Amino acid sequence: MTETVGRVWDDVREGEEMAGFSLELTATRMVLQVSGTQDVYPVHHDPAFARAAGHADIFLNTAFIRGCLCRLLTDWMGPDGFLKSLSFQMRKPNLMGETISVRGRVKKKRPEGRVDVEAWIETPGGATVVSTASVLLPEKAGVSRSEGR
Amino acid sequence: MAYDIKAVKQQWEAHETPLVWGRYPVEHEPIRRHCHMLDDCNPRFLQDGQCPPVMVDFFASLGPWPPADYDIFPLIASIPTPGDRLINLSQEFEWFRPVRVGDRLGARHKVVSVHQRGTKPDPLSVWIKTETTIVNQHEDVVAVRTNQILVHRTPEEIAAETSRA
Repeated sequence: MTETVGRVWDDVREGEEMAGFSLELTATRMVLQVSGTQDVYPVHHDPAFARAAGHADIFLNTAFIRGCLCRLLTDWMGPDGFLKSLSFQMRKPNLMGETISVRGRVKKKRPEGRVDVEAWIETPGGATVVSTASVLLPEKAGVSRSEGR
Repeated sequence: MAYDIKAVKQQWEAHETPLVWGRYPVEHEPIRRHCHMLDDCNPRFLQDGQCPPVMVDFFASLGPWPPADYDIFPLIASIPTPGDRLINLSQEFEWFRPVRVGDRLGARHKVVSVHQRGTKPDPLSVWIKTETTIVNQHEDVVAVRTNQILVHRTPEEIAAETSRA
């Protein structure tokens, strides 16, 4: 967790890698998923239901996936940043038993404190989720973005 | 009777639901559960009462209790489709205002498009795009979310349909 240091737009470099993290999708983590998202659609917690629908096993739901991306971005941007937009595509299911890694890098710096980012979730088999996002960061002149626009 | 995608499009595209308020205000405990599932130790969320941006639709929803459809699921379920299994393929968010513990959120949903295109799991898959507008207690828009949903049949349903044909 890197939240303690506020990030300013001036110090960001295009191509800069974010500190990512990994999570093992144990049965316990899948239970935490249902608790944390309150998403009780059985394809995310009932293996028989998931297999009957043609899936290999239960898999992460949308709210967990976007929560991972949000954690990555909000840790990186610090307390004065504002997450402006997030777009993601789920290309492959993240199945119980896998370990996911959440990664990101700065794609483009834009005026008025805006930074475009690409982020993704990967397993040893490749990217399962691809994402783009924009964050608003304060500038050294002291403009805070945390209230959004 | 054959599935009539043209009639479904005509009836459902641009359909909007009324504004419905979340069952509960923005509360700390669900925010902490969200953080715990992700090992997210961010003090903005765990201690300071800021709502993680991706949780705004959670608090704008009636939630799954009592066991029922919620968020866009009742809307999706209302749209006639050959199958009833859902996969959320993609999502987009844009945020306009921060949300804090104590805020009250509500949402309205709109069907942006419905079309039919076969997929590997089901040649009769239906693609439904929705837009959700989330507002706070002042009815200021805090976020807009779009979803691309795929609705498909189970392998058993496809096999049964094939054997009948």
